[in-house]
Amino acid sequence: MQKKYCLALLLSMSAGISSAWADQNGASQNEVAAVTDQTMFEFGSYGTLGATHASLNSADFALDAPMPSGAGRSNYLSLSNNSLIAAHVNATFTPDLTAIFQVISEYNSNGNYRPEVEWANFKYALTPDLDIKVGRFALPTFMDSENHDVGYSFVWVHTPFELYQQMPIMSVDGASAIYHFTLGDAENTVKLIAGQNTTETAVGIVNSKNMRGIFDNLDYGQATFHLGYQRRDTSTQSELAGFNEAWVAASDLTAGFSYDPGSWFFKSEWLQDRTQYKTNAMYASAGYRIDRFTPYLMHSQSSAASAFDNTLPYLNMAQKSNSVGVRWDFMKNFDLKMQYVHITLGNNSTGYLVNIPDNVTLSGKTFHVISAVVDFVF
Amino acid sequence: MSISNLIKRILALLMLVFVNIAYADVVVIVSAKSPITSLSADQVSKIFLGKSATFPNRKPAYPIDQQIGSAVRDEFYAKVVHKDSSQLAAYWAKIIFTGEGRPPKLIVGDKAVVKTIADNPDAIGYIESSSLNHSVKAVLVP
Repeated sequence: MQKKYCLALLLSMSAGISSAWADQNGASQNEVAAVTDQTMFEFGSYGTLGATHASLNSADFALDAPMPSGAGRSNYLSLSNNSLIAAHVNATFTPDLTAIFQVISEYNSNGNYRPEVEWANFKYALTPDLDIKVGRFALPTFMDSENHDVGYSFVWVHTPFELYQQMPIMSVDGASAIYHFTLGDAENTVKLIAGQNTTETAVGIVNSKNMRGIFDNLDYGQATFHLGYQRRDTSTQSELAGFNEAWVAASDLTAGFSYDPGSWFFKSEWLQDRTQYKTNAMYASAGYRIDRFTPYLMHSQSSAASAFDNTLPYLNMAQKSNSVGVRWDFMKNFDLKMQYVHITLGNNSTGYLVNIPDNVTLSGKTFHVISAVVDFVF
Repeated sequence: MSISNLIKRILALLMLVFVNIAYADVVVIVSAKSPITSLSADQVSKIFLGKSATFPNRKPAYPIDQQIGSAVRDEFYAKVVHKDSSQLAAYWAKIIFTGEGRPPKLIVGDKAVVKTIADNPDAIGYIESSSLNHSVKAVLVP
């Protein structure tokens, strides 16, 4: 019953009269319109339909940490790995006060597609250069953190999982200050965030409190630089074991660079995650645009978590992957992507695989993942 | 140089000439009342991508887009912003669905764009050079 209700809600939101996308599509055409006029509510939607195959029969390849199953052992072809749909509302109450509300339906830790609130926040412009955000908003750890679910917004089938899965916390319930300034020919944006988060993963609920972060984004010509530092106290509530782990201090340092002159692009990001362990992860990707086609290559890797304290057990998700893929913008507001990924697990590592039977050893295994997806925006 | 190479070069030159004729000449305009006299492609690009909300003189800038798929729009984004229509749509997907901003206001046709910009010293747009008149001025000829 609840499922049907949520689906109806999603559909009705997607079918809204005023589309957030409409201004780009030429729906609003008023010859004498004042240049500052804004409609109060705009609706939009985005989504992805995808199929994934993994050359594994001893475990499942799951794209996001909360997915309980994926391609490989459970399914020859998984439709849940990349598929999702989202509905979005953009509200402009005054030129200075805006709000967004977004729900997203994707395969989650409960094994269903129950919609969840992705973003819900108010933004107020204190001055033309300083915004304050309150509510649930994106944690801008990486360059594509805020849009990691909007497949249409990037060239790959999905964001590089060796890097992005090191930091599965994607949103903050709290407050943020966004300060914009010009540095010579460059545009710089600093974001300060504070708040808390609860994220469901396949192994339990991860609670975070006292989240603090500073993130800087600098645009200079066709180049973009991203730097971030954040800290938090986290605790994992393991449903299986039925206990709360103690609060642990965690911090992340991130850096990113992209260069996109139009006909080609290069992008690379790096992270160091520190808890009781220290983990490094990075990727580098480049692509070339030929008319409506963008073939690309990517190398991505994450290291084993080295313990600061030798008495702690070893935690190991190390893996390396090499990808080749292509994005085809086959029609307005749609793309089709295909990708081949060759993955090598590190020694004693199970990577990001799920559903691994007790008697199976995956250390050092290599396998490949083939995906095809269609992304859309409305 | 062999004859076939020479012919190839002449053909390539001819193609260049025809391509240039086929392209209308886009110009970036502001109101004749605006104090702005010229802008660089990078400055215009930042305003149209929402990366800058102001002109270099710190006055607010309101960009005006033309119809998706129109020749003048495609030429403007190819020459000034270095993005084609799908790259631009992908860019705005990121901005819109994170609530970071909204695309420029859309007004259809050079005539309507000229009329709106003439009345708004804060507005900036682009038209074909043949649509220029005394009420607006070109600040960038890419």
